Amino acid sequence: MPRANGVERGGEVEVGRSLRPTSAPRPRGRRFDALPYVLIAPVSIFIIGLALVPAAFTIIESFFTVDELNPPVRFNGLGNFVALLRNEAVVSSAGNTALYVLIGVGLSTVLGMAIAVALQHPFRGRGLIIAVLILPWALPGVVEGILWSGIFEPNAGLINNLIATLHLGAGNGVLLGQDRLLTVALIELVQVWQMTPLTTLLIFAALQLIPGELYEAAQIDGASRWRSFLSITLPMARPGIAVAMVQALIATLNIFDQPYVLNGAASTGASVTMQTYFISFQNLNFGEGYALSLVIALVTVALSLLVVRFVYRKVEL
Amino acid sequence: MRTRRHPLRALSVTLIVLWSIVPIYWAAKTSLQTESAARARPAQYVPLQPTIANFRSLLDGQSDVSRGIRRSMVNIVIECGAATAVTVALAALAAYAFARFEFRGRNLVFYAVLATMAFPPYTTLIPLYRIMSSLGLVNTYTGIVLVYVSGFLPLATWVLHNYFVSIPHSIEEAGLIDGAGRLQVFWHLVLPLALPGVISTALITFLFAWAQFLFPLVLSTDLSTQPLTVLIAALQGRHVVPTTLMSAAGILAIAVPAVIALVFNRYIVNGLLAGSTK
Repeated sequence: MPRANGVERGGEVEVGRSLRPTSAPRPRGRRFDALPYVLIAPVSIFIIGLALVPAAFTIIESFFTVDELNPPVRFNGLGNFVALLRNEAVVSSAGNTALYVLIGVGLSTVLGMAIAVALQHPFRGRGLIIAVLILPWALPGVVEGILWSGIFEPNAGLINNLIATLHLGAGNGVLLGQDRLLTVALIELVQVWQMTPLTTLLIFAALQLIPGELYEAAQIDGASRWRSFLSITLPMARPGIAVAMVQALIATLNIFDQPYVLNGAASTGASVTMQTYFISFQNLNFGEGYALSLVIALVTVALSLLVVRFVYRKVEL
Repeated sequence: MRTRRHPLRALSVTLIVLWSIVPIYWAAKTSLQTESAARARPAQYVPLQPTIANFRSLLDGQSDVSRGIRRSMVNIVIECGAATAVTVALAALAAYAFARFEFRGRNLVFYAVLATMAFPPYTTLIPLYRIMSSLGLVNTYTGIVLVYVSGFLPLATWVLHNYFVSIPHSIEEAGLIDGAGRLQVFWHLVLPLALPGVISTALITFLFAWAQFLFPLVLSTDLSTQPLTVLIAALQGRHVVPTTLMSAAGILAIAVPAVIALVFNRYIVNGLLAGSTK
């Protein structure tokens, strides 16, 4: 049975040999073999028609005025991008989104690292804990927003009731939509809840590759556990941390479901992807929506490359 | 190996479990209460007089909200099931070709397919809406399924490719020498061996489809095709549905993915690691 362990088998695309057994007689000359093309045709059609062509649309039409209510499509130069900079809702949402990214990437990485270390060495029931752990990852973000709205509710919510029960305060102070930083932090907590399982798994997988002898040697040399963590665990976890941070970066930069369902269009929590939606599908200004999509995409790719550049290190044993 | 017992283990495991399930517990608790019990201060941390009235109302009631919820449950099952079946079938064929055949342009097409995974998630939202709109596929199952499939194919192809590559060539060569056709070899020998990968891919695709929100929000504007996720968000936005009923709807919406995650977690963990490790 091929074990589905993927970790050691990641990366390189193996140059597969042809399916023809080497001992069988080959037809002379290079006969054209249509079968592989037939096999890849459906996927290719999907990818060209519904991924590459639409992406080209986004890039090209960013520079055009595309307004369903005001045709035809006209060239607009950088007009859409300039309009975005003058759009106060977009600028304020960009600030919110920066906060989502900082809080989300930071918190999910730290939490994921901590949980991965807690699960690093086998113990009874670890498999069960991992099963429970991935639960938040598997649920729809928008429904998680609904679940957490019950936690944040000013009157009946869990947080405010806990504060009241433990006599830490009046128990109505934690609520969405008033203070920007608090609103963004609470909404991002919901996304962190969803992202952390994958972060944990990626780091956990990297930690499983660390040979136990390294820790034994460190122990014999009199290294403290903190020392072993800094000198062994952390460097060995770097590939996993890098991949996890890129995933978190993409998710937070493109956050939509959680603020949309928890805080509506309010400026205290709106994200740039929400503005793309409002501009395109409420104001029907597709050109400007394209431009904002393109900016978000470019920033996402640029920051992802930056994370890979500075965090990723190949581990050699 | 270190055999020292970790005094912190019980504490950390408790915190991990609490962190993972408390939000779900709170919604489940609320869904089993009457509205006045749920709003009581100080709060009841456990439902003192549990009732299934909210679930009965959603699954059996005749109000617009209940009918809508039931219809959107049917929609989400159809859309996720169809998207998963099509994605896995097409990805398996292509992944096999990429893993085992030599042909002109193979690497180019393979990398082009994988490259679309690097597109940030909503880059193609507006053009896909406009394409579906011009084809008359807004508010149809076909439109939603086409968009889902196009989004999930790259990851599915990548994961399945990795499984096919790990299967020894000798098995196929033996089959070919015995006179089986190449597609017979694929169907009868390779696919059964890659079954864990196929199951992983199907489960992950299904969970991704179930979690979709912004694409169906744009592509389905009425109840004929709206999945449960979109309808629930709309109900929440109107602020007229009681929180206990909303919690019950939320529990219904997470029931299927939660059961899948708990029962098949090994397949999901393996598939995720096979797909995410670069």
